[in-house]
Amino acid sequence: MEKRLYFLLGDVLSNSVVGILAGLATASLVGTGWPMLIGMLVGMAIGMLVSFLGPIVFSPLFGAHEIMLPTMLSSMLAGMLFGMAAAMQSLSMGTIVGIGALLGLGITVCVWISNARLHGAQQTEH
Amino acid sequence: MDLVTKQKWDNAAATFDFMSSYGPEKRWEPFKREFFSPMQGKILFLAVGTGLDIPFFPPDRDIVGIDISSKMLERATNRVAQYQGNIELHEMDVHDLPFPNGTFDQVFTSCTFCSVPDPVRGLETLKRVLKPGGELRMFEHTGSRYYPFKLLLNMMNPLSKKLGPEVNRDTVSNVRQAGFRIRQVNHVFLDVVKTIVAEAPGE
Repeated sequence: MEKRLYFLLGDVLSNSVVGILAGLATASLVGTGWPMLIGMLVGMAIGMLVSFLGPIVFSPLFGAHEIMLPTMLSSMLAGMLFGMAAAMQSLSMGTIVGIGALLGLGITVCVWISNARLHGAQQTEH
Repeated sequence: MDLVTKQKWDNAAATFDFMSSYGPEKRWEPFKREFFSPMQGKILFLAVGTGLDIPFFPPDRDIVGIDISSKMLERATNRVAQYQGNIELHEMDVHDLPFPNGTFDQVFTSCTFCSVPDPVRGLETLKRVLKPGGELRMFEHTGSRYYPFKLLLNMMNPLSKKLGPEVNRDTVSNVRQAGFRIRQVNHVFLDVVKTIVAEAPGE
């Protein structure tokens, strides 16, 4: 389990940033009144595109798979969430930034918990 | 030699250190230092790449480092020169190693078998060049058994393998299929980044 502050902060920063950016990009494209399902699918596609920021921008600073997998998840989920929300109502910049950052933090914590459960020796004789 | 794979890694050599040398290597440094610390005897290391792992090797070891990419090896020469021990570099394909049977006491790999085109055949070659009972020690990334990570890695794989490694391989099964006895699997990050320790069959 990672304990170094630099990498812990890097995890939170990278996931929060991609969560916010996926939210902003999705909300700027999906219009109020769109079918929610379409909004969600468009948001997921935008989230996939934004997720490339993880390996390109943040991996050189904070780690490979430790950044790539969670940021992909944060970005796609933020895209889906904001795609549905933007189809229902217009969203303020503050709402997108706040919820996008919180979603990124939430994903980071979930991955830390998953890693704590899976980390370590698995088998010694086979 | 597999020229397609060679070309892919020759192309990646220019940006490889930028993408991998700081964040990923700093993050993995404690695990790699510990994992490489039991190096002993005659050692084969693959794929040495630009030599990012060399600073984590214990000093005074006798190591043969191979890689399929000459461009990667060119970039490794400074790190080899700084190592306090003996490292010989060779451009070679793991499918076709020219070493006699039973040459090495240990074989180490570091993020290698995500990229070897025929992993089971490559591992069988390693088994051949290891002494009977010799040790295979791998630091590798693989696919995941768990959702949503399994899904994400499967989605990424078609693009990833065009640019570099495959990200959804079952390397533990490949090691077993190649005839090694697995002694230990240790997860470093989720069940994706892991170390594998295996033993070549005895006489």
